[in-house]
Amino acid sequence: MRRLGELEAEIMDRFWTWGRPATVREVVDDINQHRDLAYTTVTTVTSILFQKGHLTRVRHGRVWHYEAAASREAYAAALMEDGLGASTDRPAALAQFVENLDDDELAALREALRNVGRRAAQ
Amino acid sequence: MNAAPALLGYAALVGVAVPRLMTRSVWPHRAPGLGAAVWLALSLSFTIAVALAASQLAAPTEHLHLGLLGLLHACGLGTTAPRPDPTTVDLLALTMPLAVVTAFVAASLFHLARTGLIRARHRDRLDKVGARCDRLRATVLPHSTPAAYCLPGFRSRIVVSDAAVRLLTEEQLSAVLEHERAHVAGRHHLLLAATHGFATVFPWLPLARRAREQMAVLLEMIADDRALRRHDREVLATAMYEMAAGRAPKGAFAAGGSTALLRMKRILGPRRTPHPAFRGSVASAVLAVPLLPLLVACPPGL
Repeated sequence: MRRLGELEAEIMDRFWTWGRPATVREVVDDINQHRDLAYTTVTTVTSILFQKGHLTRVRHGRVWHYEAAASREAYAAALMEDGLGASTDRPAALAQFVENLDDDELAALREALRNVGRRAAQ
Repeated sequence: MNAAPALLGYAALVGVAVPRLMTRSVWPHRAPGLGAAVWLALSLSFTIAVALAASQLAAPTEHLHLGLLGLLHACGLGTTAPRPDPTTVDLLALTMPLAVVTAFVAASLFHLARTGLIRARHRDRLDKVGARCDRLRATVLPHSTPAAYCLPGFRSRIVVSDAAVRLLTEEQLSAVLEHERAHVAGRHHLLLAATHGFATVFPWLPLARRAREQMAVLLEMIADDRALRRHDREVLATAMYEMAAGRAPKGAFAAGGSTALLRMKRILGPRRTPHPAFRGSVASAVLAVPLLPLLVACPPGL
């Protein structure tokens, strides 16, 4: 059995790609084109995603219609901000490879690189 | 003899004067691993000195002979004959130093737990949005800013934006990822948690402030050195420039001075490592410094 996180990702991926409300049945049918997965399993994981706030839902008659709470791009942007330490004083990540620089700092980096190139050429 | 004044004097030396000396020296940037060890040893030494001083202030008549052994004895763990009933003073003399050490450890653990929770939440979302790339051994995040970072700790992740993948050459990208992997492999987040914890307990202390600043810089340098083991220095330096140039300039409210130029010059400049004899003596100092407060509290001659 695959890890729960992977199934969560698989389900979210479908909602993001479709960009419209869908039922659990639709998701199961789509996943079952590639591999067999029980309806109940997908129902359970979908409601976990709803509880975590990744999905919103509306009831039509007897079935719930789910939809992604935010677009994939919005998620990526929020993560990046978090990872780059822009959103909080204590970011989730350790440190990014290189931080944002102002024009003077950037020019100084370029100068340092160019000097090495010149030395190598001589 | 009451050792409190000597201990407090020592604490002032380690807490104020030595950090100034350390930030002025050039060797820590040439041997960043050793530099990081010294900052940790100083923090530990300061904590022990303050703890022992607290004990002496609580029980001025009590001798601190044999330092830790004396504490163990007071705990009832000593092998000598049982002492008379502990008085309030005895209890204070024991709980005060314990409180100082516990505060340091607890603040570090708290910081670790807090960042761990934030990371777990981040990872949960990351695994949904990002694509795991087995070839790069990293998670690729769809984003127009060229960036790379890591989530250290349990179930670690190396994250790179697809803009960075497009921007950098194969070799540059590999060097950047190697740098991030060095952070994870070296458990750098534990060292950062310790300096954060120390700064939480002693917020006004120059040693705490500088240790926190310097630790962050030194860890970046350690990771740079790891990347340079397998990659050309020009490749790493160019990757650094390309990534900095490929994003929006820093806003007016962004955090202070950048260490990028410092790192860049270090990567490109001639390799200068301190003499082995110097490294050896600093390494022994790292081991000795945390024990120094015990010597100050109880000079062998007395």
